[in-house]
Amino acid sequence: MQPEKFYYDNKIVRNFGIATIVWGIIGMLVGLLVAIQLYKPAMNMGNQYTTFGRIRPLHTNAVIFAFVGNAIFMGVYYSLQRLLKARMFSDVLSKIHFWGWQLIIISAVITLPLGITTSHEYAELEWPIDIAITLIWVVFGINMFGTIFKRRERHLYVAIWFYIATFVTVAVLHIVNSFELPISFLKSYYLFAGVQDALVQWWYGHNAVAFFLTTPYLGMMYYFLPKMANRPIYSYKLSILHFWALIFIYIWAGPHHLLYTTLPGWAQSLGVVFSIMLIAPSWGGMINGLLTLRGAWDKVRDDVILKFMVVGLTAYGMATFEGPMLSLKQVNAIGHFTDWIIAHVHVGALGWNGFLTFAILYWLIPRIYRTELYSKKLASWHFWIGTLGILFYAIPMYWSGFTQGLMLKEFTQEGMLKYPNFLETTMRIIPMHVMRSIGGTLYLGGVIMMAYNLAKTMLKGSLVANEAAEAMPLAPNYTKAQDGFWHRTLERRPIQMLVLSLVVILIGTFVELMPTLTISSNIPTIASVKPYTPLELQGRDIYIREGCVGCHSQTVRPFRSETERYGEYSKAGEFVYDHPFLWGSKRTGPDLQREGGKYGNAWHYNHLMDPRLMSPGSIMPNYDWLITQKLDTSNTADKINAMRKLGVPYAPGYEKVANRDLNKQAQDIADNLAKDHIKVNSNKEIIAIIAYLQRLGTDIKANKTASN
Amino acid sequence: MFKQFTENISGNQFYLLFSLSLFLVFFIVVTILLFKMKKDHVDSMSDMPLHDSLNDTLKSLQS
Repeated sequence: MQPEKFYYDNKIVRNFGIATIVWGIIGMLVGLLVAIQLYKPAMNMGNQYTTFGRIRPLHTNAVIFAFVGNAIFMGVYYSLQRLLKARMFSDVLSKIHFWGWQLIIISAVITLPLGITTSHEYAELEWPIDIAITLIWVVFGINMFGTIFKRRERHLYVAIWFYIATFVTVAVLHIVNSFELPISFLKSYYLFAGVQDALVQWWYGHNAVAFFLTTPYLGMMYYFLPKMANRPIYSYKLSILHFWALIFIYIWAGPHHLLYTTLPGWAQSLGVVFSIMLIAPSWGGMINGLLTLRGAWDKVRDDVILKFMVVGLTAYGMATFEGPMLSLKQVNAIGHFTDWIIAHVHVGALGWNGFLTFAILYWLIPRIYRTELYSKKLASWHFWIGTLGILFYAIPMYWSGFTQGLMLKEFTQEGMLKYPNFLETTMRIIPMHVMRSIGGTLYLGGVIMMAYNLAKTMLKGSLVANEAAEAMPLAPNYTKAQDGFWHRTLERRPIQMLVLSLVVILIGTFVELMPTLTISSNIPTIASVKPYTPLELQGRDIYIREGCVGCHSQTVRPFRSETERYGEYSKAGEFVYDHPFLWGSKRTGPDLQREGGKYGNAWHYNHLMDPRLMSPGSIMPNYDWLITQKLDTSNTADKINAMRKLGVPYAPGYEKVANRDLNKQAQDIADNLAKDHIKVNSNKEIIAIIAYLQRLGTDIKANKTASN
Repeated sequence: MFKQFTENISGNQFYLLFSLSLFLVFFIVVTILLFKMKKDHVDSMSDMPLHDSLNDTLKSLQS
């Protein structure tokens, strides 16, 4: 048999590499802006398109799906071809994948500042973009499996199992968390409401971390680390064990994002137990990575790429130990909703994803350009400035999280809240936020240095767009190995590998989601909870548009420190008409679930216009455009119809008279404001959002009896 | 710490026990099968990333 000559496609790898760098800088720049907004409200820049609520999702989406997403595709396209000894299945599909993904990112850059959002964290993009993501993901899948099918290497290396599991799980997560009923081109409501919606979202949210930020990176680690260190992976057996254990366990851990909420207790317990168990497979991966460098630690001292890998793997180990600890209820009670979580995710994002990406870029770009790195010294500077950046970011955020978490729980000897005013705790942590933005600046500075260094490297060399390679074709008649080892068999059967991965992740998904989604007794209803009025519904959509959920939770946990501060703790039945749920994950400001009736309409009007008028020192942006912008009521009937389809009991034909009720309620609020000498037309957006805020949590203030 | 789990899952222990036993069985099966793995196969799989460039391929063809 003659060896076959073929060419690796390096151009697509280069393109994804450049996109990684460009979007990385943009995403981190937006991150820096939102970080500064948290202590300088003027940085919201006085217009609605750059307020924190709207651009914080832009930051998260840009770094997760644009920076990390492009880096994944860069790493996968490079390693897949070489591990399979085959060019990518189709150059056309590679191009569609690349440009399609960039267009999706651009659509996010346009829609998110416009306030077009579904409000589900890391899944904010509206339904047409969701469909586009699905299509491009399928293109990626076809291209990957097409390459696998035409491979010249019988067995699939461990990195490829991680890629397969990533592909199939992200597809399942994205589709299930995109069950939406469109009401117009760029607006939809989620099928599930309240507790169910929360469970689906955090099943998705947690596993987006698992299968977008973790498994593809573990795959890349298993390929690139042996290349960088020029030695095989420490333990191949450990890689099999930790792969199957990781994908089995990860899928169950989502409910740890919902501890002490109204999610059924058994589901919370399940989330906690599996989160603790996650330490084992996560550390299996970290140990396997670090021990690959056994006997090569002298290289780490000289080689900046290995330095990035070691710090990245250490950050992974820290984040995956901290995650399970945070899922312990007692720890979660303090850490949840605070900056502690921000520190936790950034140790993972900046350390694990960031540093691994940088290492791969520094390793890969000179190779595909057949040259040396422009400046090793500059790369070394990047390493140190980046490491310092992570420390300056994470330490102040931990400090801030502990400080605020403990302050909010502190009582005086007389049994009163020591800091009854939430704002007092916010002002205490402002110095930490200033330091955090310095840390972020250092980290971003390092990335810009890398961009310069790599651009110079590219200019110095020339791209080997098609890299020649040779390999023996696969023998058509494969004779099975005599030992018949199960995994050896699986390693040459990609489809079975895909199906088995799917089965493994579906087990956890079904056991965890199905009871809450299908058994009504898991969500006790409350007789006094009624659907939103048309004006409140419109106000709620403005609340969603402005991204209020980014800073204000709507779920009161059953702690005395919270019931004293906010009021009665939340009940599952209160959220049955909430499509989507708006519990939030961070309290930069106070919880709003019991906001209704706490202050007068005039207070809300002035507070939204300029929060510092009512709360001196507040860091909330001004929302003065709500006073001038007219509420769009042309879609009220569509919204009522959509909600009815989703099970909200509006009377038949109500959509025809909904705007009449809306106008009447709006006029009442405008009249009430006029008594406080505030002249505002009842057709303005601010009236709707006041109506919504005044409704929040009032259902069970009237009647606390639950029917179930 | 463990008390919180047993208290919170009243009437629903089934889910927890089912999930845990499922994982335990899965984990034990994978572990047992791993012990039966042949060393030469493990070595050839671990070496895979180190033999994927043209030079590596040529070397392996010459040998």
